[in-house]
Amino acid sequence: MRILVIEDERKLATAIKDGLESDDYSVAIAYTGEDGFYLLCKQAFDLAILDIMLPGRDGFEILASLREQGVKIPILLLTAKDTLEDRVRGLDTGADDYLVKPFAFPELLARVRALLRRGVVPAKLRSRLADLQIDILERSVKRGDSVIELTAKEFEILEYLFIHQGRVVSREMLARDVWKDTARQTPLDNVIDVHINHLRRKIDEPFKPKLLQTVRGLGFVLREDSR
Amino acid sequence: MPVRVRLPSAKSLPIRTRLTIWYLCVLGTVLLVFAAVTASVLYWQLSRQLTRFAIQDIETIEGLLFFDARGNLQQNEDYHNHAESRKILERLLEVISPDGTLLYRNWRLSTDRLGGAPFPAEGAGGYSPRTIHIRDGTPVLVVSRRHVMGGRPLIIRVGYRKDTVSAQIWQFLTASFTALPLALSLIAIFGFQVARRSLAPMVDMARLAEQITAENLDRRLPIANPGDEIGHLGRVINELLDRLDLAFAQLRRFTSDASHELRTPLAAIRSVGEVSLQGDRTSEQYRDTIGSMLEEVTRLTSLVENLLTISRADAGQIEPRFSVFSLRELVDEVVSLVEILAEEYEQKILVTGDSGTLVRGDRLLLRQALINVLHNATKYSPVGGKITIWTGVSGSDWATVRISDTGPGIAAEHRDKIFQRFYRVTEGRTRETGGSGLGLAIAQWSVLAQGGQITVENAGEGATFAIALPAYKS
Repeated sequence: MRILVIEDERKLATAIKDGLESDDYSVAIAYTGEDGFYLLCKQAFDLAILDIMLPGRDGFEILASLREQGVKIPILLLTAKDTLEDRVRGLDTGADDYLVKPFAFPELLARVRALLRRGVVPAKLRSRLADLQIDILERSVKRGDSVIELTAKEFEILEYLFIHQGRVVSREMLARDVWKDTARQTPLDNVIDVHINHLRRKIDEPFKPKLLQTVRGLGFVLREDSR
Repeated sequence: MPVRVRLPSAKSLPIRTRLTIWYLCVLGTVLLVFAAVTASVLYWQLSRQLTRFAIQDIETIEGLLFFDARGNLQQNEDYHNHAESRKILERLLEVISPDGTLLYRNWRLSTDRLGGAPFPAEGAGGYSPRTIHIRDGTPVLVVSRRHVMGGRPLIIRVGYRKDTVSAQIWQFLTASFTALPLALSLIAIFGFQVARRSLAPMVDMARLAEQITAENLDRRLPIANPGDEIGHLGRVINELLDRLDLAFAQLRRFTSDASHELRTPLAAIRSVGEVSLQGDRTSEQYRDTIGSMLEEVTRLTSLVENLLTISRADAGQIEPRFSVFSLRELVDEVVSLVEILAEEYEQKILVTGDSGTLVRGDRLLLRQALINVLHNATKYSPVGGKITIWTGVSGSDWATVRISDTGPGIAAEHRDKIFQRFYRVTEGRTRETGGSGLGLAIAQWSVLAQGGQITVENAGEGATFAIALPAYKS
């Protein structure tokens, strides 16, 4: 999968490139809108990440010209401006998704995955990791042979973690996708932490290996090894 | 004093000059009109007086005329030796027969005539007063009287020179016009002084106001006389300065508080990073360092987000979206979200009151306010404490949520300030419980923006926050 990052802030562009490459994408960088436009017209990419605040022609203009040229690949907009008008304008101009700086990297990865899949793949009805099993239909969870009772919220969190199995899930992602809360705030972060703790107490504490891991400063991940 | 007032440029003159010019114009006009009217009245009265003299005179003359031995008409001049008035001496006398033959004229008239041939009915049954011009062009008032003497009909004509009347009028007008510039000058000087003196406080105010900038907003304008219009203006400006001063002080404090709050996580990031680079660490330690730095970044991010929310709110960029919804449902929703935090500390949240209250407001903003206040309550209630939420209508039509905790309460001196940005009751609060110091400020703004009010008081054990919005009545 080839991704083009159009971003004039070199440090950020490089960080995004490194991050995406470590997730096995092939990444090119354009530091100006014109370069990005040229590359997208000449070469085949599967996705573009476009910054709005660019020197010269800004992201909106590039986006509009790209869509006029018939470039149909998914485009993810990045911006520092978190106003509704900007968001609406971006999506109206033909962007597929929108991310406000500063964003959590797992969030960017999740969006990229979602865009490349074109929609969320329906979760498998049954998943397992090591000896932890989840059944979406029956809404049941088992670790080994013992059945684990979860609250509705805990189940939703676990289900979400299973969908993103092996990848870091940030608090932002949980707030948006599990709590459906757009206006994120400090109390909610605390709420998420407490729920995660409860969940961990139930599915991990009496067992080995520990599956629900906290990645300090990033979020949570459901995986078997502790890298 | 000729004063030409060109309107466009008049506006650029100082008010005191304009006032003075107005005085001058008005008073000058009044004086001119007064002089003109007085002169006319005087002229009219003098003319009437002259006519009366002439009539009296003509009757006297009737008795003084006689035919001498040769049949020539004569007048007894002796009478004038004891003349009682100057007017009589000035009179011109002519006696003619009805066919126009000159019978007598006095020495003052000499060779002149008082009109030519008599007109029909001249002097019959009246005095026929009229004005004619004698040879040297002087206007003369002439009255006539028919008289029969010794069987002969006569027409007696008496004339008075009217130039004496005009001379008096001119004298009056000359005197008036000589006095006018003097009067106007006095008025100008006096008027200018009065205007200048009444406007002087304003000039002082302007001079001082020019020196007031953001740096010395504590200065106030001097108010000479609080009762008059200028004093009122000064008071209004001073009140405006009060408000500006307060707003600036708040802004300054906000900026310095915000910088301080931003600096704290930045300092942590820097120290953690620098310390970590001072020696070789295991990859596990580096991981920990980076994680710790990212935690601070998260804190910075949420602080910046809150600051942005506040600045957008201040700039009026957040428009409340009104709808009608159930207060209790929203409270239940917020409780179910925050409940888990209370459970961590074995606190109980109890919701009571009326569950049917409808409210008109912005649901998202109110939700935010409730979350912040409730979160605050869980932070300050002790382990095992209780949080009581009451919903219902208080007063006549305020849909109210009261959130009471069992914490230490808020001392009276903090109650006004608790909603201020970054205000903290105790300086030494840890960041663990401290939060960003913006939660209640945002809650207050959210409530005020939709026309509600938020108050805090100590009731019973802890603090009670009350959020009230206009109730919805179908």
